[in-house]
Amino acid sequence: MNQMATRDVVLAILSLVVATFVTRAGMLLVGERLRLSRHVEAALRFAPACALTALVLPEVLSPSGVLDVSLGNARWPATLVATTFLLWRPSMLGGIAIGMATYVAIRLWLA
Amino acid sequence: MRRPWHDPAWRAEFSRGARDMLPAFPGILAWGLVTGVAMVKTGLSVPLALLMSLLAYAGSAQLAALPLIAAAAPAWVIALTALATNMRFVIYGAAMRRWLTTYSKRRLSALGYLSGDFSFVLFMNRVAKEGAFEHRDAWLFGVTLMNWVLWQLASIVGIVGGAFIPTSWGLQFAGTLALVPLVLPACRSWAGASGALTAGCVALLANGWPYKSGLLVGVVAGIVAATAVDNFTSSQREGGHP
Repeated sequence: MNQMATRDVVLAILSLVVATFVTRAGMLLVGERLRLSRHVEAALRFAPACALTALVLPEVLSPSGVLDVSLGNARWPATLVATTFLLWRPSMLGGIAIGMATYVAIRLWLA
Repeated sequence: MRRPWHDPAWRAEFSRGARDMLPAFPGILAWGLVTGVAMVKTGLSVPLALLMSLLAYAGSAQLAALPLIAAAAPAWVIALTALATNMRFVIYGAAMRRWLTTYSKRRLSALGYLSGDFSFVLFMNRVAKEGAFEHRDAWLFGVTLMNWVLWQLASIVGIVGGAFIPTSWGLQFAGTLALVPLVLPACRSWAGASGALTAGCVALLANGWPYKSGLLVGVVAGIVAATAVDNFTSSQREGGHP
């Protein structure tokens, strides 16, 4: 890393800032010029659930990039326990606590 | 109103937003910490890592950019990678914008810059329940600023203490767990559940595609599936022919 010039890293950071801003704020800023059809607007209602599952499922079932549903991957049983708890009581904090406790317990038990 | 902060109703919504974000704190802290550690483990000096954390508030795009920075990739490659990794936020923006058209460009810029996965889902869940509630901007600022502060605190701890924090603890899993309760309400309808399932499975199959494109493909596939099921179930309800 020492061989890498500070100027280059700052430039890299700035390009990261620009790219992030364009994607996150861009759609909010185009305003009236862009009209989305009624059908597209209706379809976008489903975006949150789809985005979250697309984020969560690979993290849970293939943390190393390969599908792993053995107990060696403690994430999926922990997520299952947390989900069962959340269906009974919708508390984010409780879900994280119970999920992490299960995760740690399985890893200690296997270690 | 030029200075919305002086309006007690605006302030009330702002603090409500901050409070609504608070239960996610273990997830955000764990995620921020992991990102902070990753920055210094890549070889960024502490000042540069701090600069990156404070300016480029980007999470997954930050993590994607790190190996490129280490390999001294040109800035435009890093920008393209960040664009690709952040593509889901374009869909988020498209979904949110009809609720935010009344606000000034400056305010929208700030909200866009601060927005993330959490604020998007919390916002969409709330407007689905309450419609265009008063002072949406205030609430969203509360949510996103709370997220920002928690993230930065954890990230700074990770940067400064990076050498002492092993990456094998699996802390980032807390961040994944924090997202689970946000999915469940949307899965109560057939359309929402089938969309979520499709998105998850497609993302899983496409896991490891370059630039997190599997994630984007999963989201789009899920939205299409949910819409198809929604059209089918609503035509059944109306008793008409599908």
